[in-house]
Amino acid sequence: MNAIIALSLFGITNLFLGFLNNRKILLPATLLFVLIAFGLNLADWNHEYYWFHNMLKTNNLSINFTSIILVATALVVAISRGFGNDEEHTHPAEYYGILLFSVVGAIMMVTFQSLFMLFVGIEILSVAMYVLTGSDKRNLRSNEAALKYFLMGSFATGIMLFGIALVYGATGSFDINGIGNMVNQAKLQDIMLNPYGPILYGGIILIFVGLLFKISAAPFHFWTPDVYDGAPSIFTAFMSTVVKTAGVAATYRLLSISFPAVYGLWGNPLVYITCLTLFIGNITAVYQQSFKRMLAYSSISHAGYLLITVLAKTPTTNSSILFYSLAYSIATISAFAVLMVVSEAQSKSGKPDESFTALNGLATNNPFLAFVLTVSMLSLAGIPLTAGFFGKFFIFADAFSNVSSLFKTIAVVAILMSTVGIYYYFKPIIAAYLKKGDLEKIELSPIYKLTLIITTALTILLGIAPDLVKNIF
Amino acid sequence: MIQFVFIAFMVLTLASALVVLLTKNVLYAAFSLLGTFLGVSALYVLAGADFLAVAQILVYVGGVLVLLIFGVMLTNQQGNKSRGRNDITTESSNRVLGVFVMLGFSATLLYTFGRARFLTIQDSLFEAVEPTSTTQTIGVELMTNYVLPFEVSGVLLMAVLIGAAYLSTKTKN
Repeated sequence: MNAIIALSLFGITNLFLGFLNNRKILLPATLLFVLIAFGLNLADWNHEYYWFHNMLKTNNLSINFTSIILVATALVVAISRGFGNDEEHTHPAEYYGILLFSVVGAIMMVTFQSLFMLFVGIEILSVAMYVLTGSDKRNLRSNEAALKYFLMGSFATGIMLFGIALVYGATGSFDINGIGNMVNQAKLQDIMLNPYGPILYGGIILIFVGLLFKISAAPFHFWTPDVYDGAPSIFTAFMSTVVKTAGVAATYRLLSISFPAVYGLWGNPLVYITCLTLFIGNITAVYQQSFKRMLAYSSISHAGYLLITVLAKTPTTNSSILFYSLAYSIATISAFAVLMVVSEAQSKSGKPDESFTALNGLATNNPFLAFVLTVSMLSLAGIPLTAGFFGKFFIFADAFSNVSSLFKTIAVVAILMSTVGIYYYFKPIIAAYLKKGDLEKIELSPIYKLTLIITTALTILLGIAPDLVKNIF
Repeated sequence: MIQFVFIAFMVLTLASALVVLLTKNVLYAAFSLLGTFLGVSALYVLAGADFLAVAQILVYVGGVLVLLIFGVMLTNQQGNKSRGRNDITTESSNRVLGVFVMLGFSATLLYTFGRARFLTIQDSLFEAVEPTSTTQTIGVELMTNYVLPFEVSGVLLMAVLIGAAYLSTKTKN
């Protein structure tokens, strides 16, 4: 909660810092703000608080999710390089300000206790992302992506709001615990005979559609490739880490607290959605020629893996989601960091080249970048000795520990699809090491290099000793 | 009497919503949206939500709709000049997909509301209710129980404001 207040104020502070006409100060200032918020967030550790008449609730789970969000934000800010020196066309003060506001929304999505806060949080996050997606105003694809994202996103928000209204109509409460109690009482074996049952059912389905849209699960994923591809890479990195983590956390929080009693209602559709997400995300990623677009499809498939453990509902689900989100976030951020510098170095007539061929021969003159890329790709593919392996391992273990034989099927689908993943995650590695290219040595700023070292070291460390954070989660 | 009023406003809402859906001229669509908003706010009044009705008229009719019509009027209409007309029409593509989405959505809603039994309100439907104002309750609740969503909406509006200002400023190419 304190982090929310602090970040709102820091966002405004950031806007005022824009008046200083000193672009260099913004990056360290924003980084400092995020770290302060991180500290404030940890201050509530081991306490359970309800804030402002049960609007928000912080406990260790929500603090963990907030920490992951803030770590991802700090890493994204660190690789943003102050948005270059183009005084005319980039406005870092606004970008960083909106970024901090969007983090406020993300934190509200993982700590909400009332559906009000869920809705406002999703809106803050989404509106900020619409703007940041279109922030490259000279790039037509960025404009297209922003408009697409805005139209579809507001449609999805509308549907979710409708769902919230129906759930309120059926249970008379916006509080997720209150809804849970009402749902428990309402004799749910024959929910369709209960006078409020059908309304509740419709409401759950509609809320669900809205949330699944935000985490881009199939069949609500169609916006993802275009938006991720069109947005400036730095904001794509933010979207595919922070937004995804917050969305999955919100879905999990709502389903596990409010609707565990009606598992049959949302569980069955979610099984198909999970399998479809894994299938579409991985199979379509194989056919991509652009590295960035491939990462977009891979982020769809990772939503599928996260949904498996939401479905499995084992006691370890909390820590599995947290570990997977963390592993996925740091690996994705280092992949995008490499993509950003390489595509800029390879840019043709002012447009960055984001295809796989841009990575050709990366290892010859830039062994460090090639190594970072390799580690992140291995982690995303789930190869042992990286964090991604244990992320997938915990999730599959959750699926197998569930008694229902259905989960064996899902786990088999997921394992098959992760082998498909190995194929396309190795494409950039092959391009970097085996193909010939004429890439010059790329100079990296100290903070950029440090960030890459941190993400890579963390990925390997968590791959060797996952218990380091698994014990905290 | 109230039944007739209710049905009249319901017809107004639905008919103008259908016009929005079916007309190709964007300006006609914008104007018939006026009918929809008015009808909805009248339905709010009939449901005893006076504050919501006034807010609906203020925000949607007074704000959104005027903005929409200005937007239509200020849009570059070069495309239709060649046909000697001065209007903006929509080209509908992907009708099949739209119909499928519509069918799915309305099936969900029909199923939901068809199966639900509104037991408690069925008896007193269309009976006169005590005219009480909800404004005071809303004001008090907004400043006590719901103060956090109220304040946090400020962050949302701030982000929207900065975003709109940033996106609409002109840049040299």
